[in-house]
Amino acid sequence: MVSQKVKVTNEQGMHMRPATVFSAAVTPFDSDVKIVFNGNSYDGKSVMMLMAACIKCGAEIEIQCTGSDEEAALAKAVELVESGLGD
Amino acid sequence: MYKGIEASRGIGIGSICLIVEHDLSFESKHIDDTEAEKARFNNAIEAFKTETSAMAENIRKNIGPKEAEIMEGHLAMIADPTMAGEMTKMIEAGQCAEAAVTAVCDMFIGMFSKMEDDMMRQRASDISDIKISLLKLLLGIEDVDISKVAPGTVLVAHDLTPSMCSQIVKENVVGIITEVGGKTSHSAILARALEIPAVLSVPNITEIVKDKDTAIVDGTEGDVYINPDGEVISQYVIKREEFVKAQAELKKFIGQKTVTADGTELELFCNIGTPKDARKAVECDGEGIGLFRSEFLFMDRPHLPTEEEQFEAYKEAVEIMGGRTVIIRTLDIGGDKDIPYLGLEKEENPFLGYRAVRYCLANSDMYKIQLRGILRASAFGNVKIMVPLVTCVDEVRAVKALVEECKNELRSEGVKFDENIEVGCMVETAAASLIADILAKEADFFSIGTNDLTQYTMSVDRGNAEVAYLYSAFQPAVLRSIKNIIEAGNAAGITVGMCGEAAADPLMIPLLISFGLKEYSVNPVLVLTARSIISKWSKAEADALAEKVLALTTEKEIVELLKASAK
Repeated sequence: MVSQKVKVTNEQGMHMRPATVFSAAVTPFDSDVKIVFNGNSYDGKSVMMLMAACIKCGAEIEIQCTGSDEEAALAKAVELVESGLGD
Repeated sequence: MYKGIEASRGIGIGSICLIVEHDLSFESKHIDDTEAEKARFNNAIEAFKTETSAMAENIRKNIGPKEAEIMEGHLAMIADPTMAGEMTKMIEAGQCAEAAVTAVCDMFIGMFSKMEDDMMRQRASDISDIKISLLKLLLGIEDVDISKVAPGTVLVAHDLTPSMCSQIVKENVVGIITEVGGKTSHSAILARALEIPAVLSVPNITEIVKDKDTAIVDGTEGDVYINPDGEVISQYVIKREEFVKAQAELKKFIGQKTVTADGTELELFCNIGTPKDARKAVECDGEGIGLFRSEFLFMDRPHLPTEEEQFEAYKEAVEIMGGRTVIIRTLDIGGDKDIPYLGLEKEENPFLGYRAVRYCLANSDMYKIQLRGILRASAFGNVKIMVPLVTCVDEVRAVKALVEECKNELRSEGVKFDENIEVGCMVETAAASLIADILAKEADFFSIGTNDLTQYTMSVDRGNAEVAYLYSAFQPAVLRSIKNIIEAGNAAGITVGMCGEAAADPLMIPLLISFGLKEYSVNPVLVLTARSIISKWSKAEADALAEKVLALTTEKEIVELLKASAK
């Protein structure tokens, strides 16, 4: 497993659209993508779970990727969050 | 009369079509042939996707792309592995499709409806919509076809789902009444986009009314009348005429220049708080941004925004405005706002204390980050820098010196910016008003902040109900101050604008025209109203009124005269 901590910077936090952008971008990877926030772990490929996590702007999350293409998945996920999730 | 939440303005009078809630109960049974049940479920999902895509398309064409996002959101949710995927797993374990849909949706509804965030709670109603649509498909229930209702229909429903809204024929539906929903619910947003009067959250309305009852929907006040007598109806017919006339009147001003009755062209800008608001300003026909509050970048976060973050935010607004003026006010905070990482101490008198430009000049490293961000954004359009809470000329000079420092740095780094960027000041203190002639020699423009100017001039805390009666921009002291500021700016040849609430006040506008104000910056939704009022006054008429007003001695007399003279 590889992981990295990253800060959510888009104004709205993990709302519908950012969550859709994130899950759509990580779904093609074979690896499992998990978001750890406030001690809970959420499936990064699920829009619903991402929204349910209630991640606000300024929150620090940890992205964990496990699988054959974990490095690439993590790089993509981190880049997305840092660039503001298309918001 | 029944009271609800006013969600979409206007008056509707018509005959009720009651949208009955279907009985969606089903018998949970154990499934042996799980493959057949999965096929039945998948058919329902496919039908749901087809229906929803068609509705999204319909809404995009008839209402707008932003409203269509609601239906696209439903598609994204159903495609989620935790939705259809979880439901499929339950069916494989022997549950019937209806039970699987209900269990998974209810779990998410429970989760989202407990959240504090309004937008998140809205997701609960989205999922509830999805659940109802899926159950109807599985149970073979067909909806009333809203697209076929007769002209002059008032729709009454427990809730108006986006799917119902997508079928509404604007010409036939004159009003909407529901039992749930608030001003920001989907139904409210869609009703406003369709310009259909709507009153939401009227308790038990579906039990009170019958099909074909007559209803009056007053979406401006939030009032609903069922089977009212003739007198009430004729009152509302008149109200409806007035509303329609006023709306048509305002629409004539879309895309027009802002000119007085005698042809003087003025600037009508908007006040915004985030880059996204700039889009609203454009939609509402604003001609520029007269006040872009930069505080949003600093609030609700654990540390100072970087130069890059600030640059991106300013640039976004500047690009949306496409070459039109964007006046960015530098950080306006003090001990009354909670920004923990700034380490500001609570003060006895925060409004008289360590705040705004005073704080920024004392923390010039932080201030320069903001100035650099603004300067870099100035390469992408027409940007101006505005300094809040100025009380003496040294402050303006000090900010200008910092701007020059930043320019030199950027030049040596080879970064582009507008060499001629203007630096102006907010005139919102009694001190600044009294030395407006001195400030006008240093500042490139003035913008009068009437809210603070009133507070500081009248020495009144507007939050304190005991003294709030003194808080009025129509107090002779405040009016004299405004007049003095405008005249000093005009004498020095710099633009004077106003970005307080008074700039959109129909009673204040003739006085501002008379005093010689050039730029009016208002809340985006008030652009057309302000443009319409401005168009009614000539300089000569405004001068005649102003002369009478300035001869009066009390606020009460002034407001009475302005009301009597209003156009």
